[in-house]
Amino acid sequence: MGKKSKMLMALSLVFVLILSACGSNNGNKGAATNAPKETNAPTTEATKEPAPEPVKLRVFSTFGGTDPAKEAFEKVLKQFTDAHPNVTIDNDVMSANDDGFRTKVNTDMNSGNEADLTFYFIGKDAEGFVNAGKVVPLNDILDSDSAWKDGINPAVLELVKQPDGKIMSIPVTGYYEGMFVNKKLFADNNIELPTDWDKLEAAVKAFAAKGIIPISAPFDQSHYLIEHSILTAAGPESQSKALTGDIDPNWELGLNGLKKLYELGAFPKDAATIDLGMAQNYYYEGLAAMLIEGSWAIGGMSPEVKDNSTVIPYPVVPGGKGSGNDIVGGFGSGFYLAQKTFDDAKKKDTAIALLKHLTSKTSIQTIAQSNGGSPAADVEITGQPQVALDGFAMVSKANSISSAVDGKMSPETFTTIRSFIKPIVTGEKTAKEALEAAKKIEDANK
Amino acid sequence: MKGDKKYIFLFLFPAAVLMSIFIYYPFLKSIYLSFFRTKGFFEKKFVGFENYKRMFSDDLLGAATLNTLEIMLYVVIFQVGFALVLAVMVDSIKWGKAFYRTVFFFPIVISGAAISLMFVLIYNYQFGLLNSALSNFGMDKVLWLSETSALKAIAVPTVWHYVGFYFILFLTAMSKIPSDFYEAAKIEGISGFKKTVYLTIPLIMSDIKVVIILAITGTLKVFDFIWILARGQNGTEVLGTYMYKKAMIDLNFGYGSTIAVYIVVFGVLLSVLTNRLLKKEEVTY
Repeated sequence: MGKKSKMLMALSLVFVLILSACGSNNGNKGAATNAPKETNAPTTEATKEPAPEPVKLRVFSTFGGTDPAKEAFEKVLKQFTDAHPNVTIDNDVMSANDDGFRTKVNTDMNSGNEADLTFYFIGKDAEGFVNAGKVVPLNDILDSDSAWKDGINPAVLELVKQPDGKIMSIPVTGYYEGMFVNKKLFADNNIELPTDWDKLEAAVKAFAAKGIIPISAPFDQSHYLIEHSILTAAGPESQSKALTGDIDPNWELGLNGLKKLYELGAFPKDAATIDLGMAQNYYYEGLAAMLIEGSWAIGGMSPEVKDNSTVIPYPVVPGGKGSGNDIVGGFGSGFYLAQKTFDDAKKKDTAIALLKHLTSKTSIQTIAQSNGGSPAADVEITGQPQVALDGFAMVSKANSISSAVDGKMSPETFTTIRSFIKPIVTGEKTAKEALEAAKKIEDANK
Repeated sequence: MKGDKKYIFLFLFPAAVLMSIFIYYPFLKSIYLSFFRTKGFFEKKFVGFENYKRMFSDDLLGAATLNTLEIMLYVVIFQVGFALVLAVMVDSIKWGKAFYRTVFFFPIVISGAAISLMFVLIYNYQFGLLNSALSNFGMDKVLWLSETSALKAIAVPTVWHYVGFYFILFLTAMSKIPSDFYEAAKIEGISGFKKTVYLTIPLIMSDIKVVIILAITGTLKVFDFIWILARGQNGTEVLGTYMYKKAMIDLNFGYGSTIAVYIVVFGVLLSVLTNRLLKKEEVTY
């Protein structure tokens, strides 16, 4: 009897240890929020209002690492905590350079560990957690505070609306993608800027002959190569349909354009094994004449490279349906408010206040100022380098602005196309095979 | 005896709980998920053996398996081989043993990701260390991570990273050999190379066997070198990177889990096979 009870005790001790180890996080949180309430509030003068309860919020974003808006974002958060000393913000960041943050956001959302505010993609990428009701529709909150709502560009809010009219997230800055060209390298080598396909081919040939990388781009992370090839060859309408219907032969045409460029020696010798970061690096170091990238790439340029760069739309491959002035861009990410936080009476108001602060006119201005993106509010951005101004001009003159095609298909479909880029350009596989394989995956994913 | 059983149970219990939570449960969950077509984290549809059918007709998985086997070959020959040679050499020196032990063991302490980044800078075509050296000598640059050489180039840091670990295992095994064996050998006039081949190696055969099994199963886990140096391109995709791509980038956890199950089965088969092949009488001294 004695032995048995001893053993039971020992077993339960082991269990308690394991359980407390697993649950330590929650336990601490509870202690942290409860303890000050007991000690502070009652002892302060009875006539004064009790000090606001401490609130801890977690904000997940990609404004970290080498992101150009990292400091601006930290500044914006600090403004909030300075104004609300009872609030502590856990600034949870991850680099947007790789796909890892998608996994993190989705795992968090799926396991009940969602951040109070999450800065994440709008569209197909977010479909899972939006449909699962993990985040709050923001329409009512927007409508109840017209000063805040009016600060945000109405066209932007229209753009981020779901098909059912719900606004799930509020963007801060928009982006555009295009072909960054090193004007100085072009001028020094007497080469014309690649404003159409023939000039692009001529430029590729000329740079390749001189031992300068014509277009810096990786084959594995070939997002921007694919996005531009498809949009310019197939036109915005076919691009927006993605792979829902029959395969548009112009998609094939676009991808074959890449093969043509490869045969002329357009891409780095090691394009198969480098990543986006290294491709940017080649351009930043002046080893490459052109870089197909997004507006955020400006943030990483040195002042000299900024001065030497401009950005133009990717030219249309001969026979393509695009106008030659269609660009990829839009408001690709925004802040989501977690349903869990919304239901938590202690956090709700503070989280909404923080959301309003992060997407206020002044915060949008601060962040846009540093990352070169187009602001989601009607604010003036000053002191931008010429390349950023060229970018804004390109956007304002564009015939059409389409969001990137990878947001219009399942991630697996898009990576299937990505995995085919190298075989396509080297001639091992055809563009048709690539699109058929992708279509098969897309259909299976329905 | 009865009391002993209770204590055995008691002391094994925590480990069993942890193993169940972190190994058996995820494994069973992987088997479960492998019967579903998943769409991100939130939707899944039962598809029966669809993922397994896909697996058997997946060329990329076949290529990844072959690449894994190729790396395994390099690891078994060079990693275990170098470790053995180094251990024999260090074992036979009179002084400086501790110094060499530290030097050879050191790479293990550095994370694989850091070593990979270092090799990115060594192999880079445009401004890598090797190509800079070549161009300083007026030679043409070499594409180290080309289609034909990428896997071999990546095998270099992979082998180097873990040589020290097996080296230490061998050295420890050698230090356990009683000195009278060597004294007898000395009287018989056996020394040098002969001593190593006829005495040392047969006496540590059981350790060599363990090391080979560790090396083979360890190769199934190679990920960081491939991922950082070549992202699985140019014929470097291995099982680990392919599974990661399917599960984490494509967010197709169903098929990713199917590959995970395949890796486990493949690993178990390989180690059983190695065990069979290396079956030999154990030496006791």
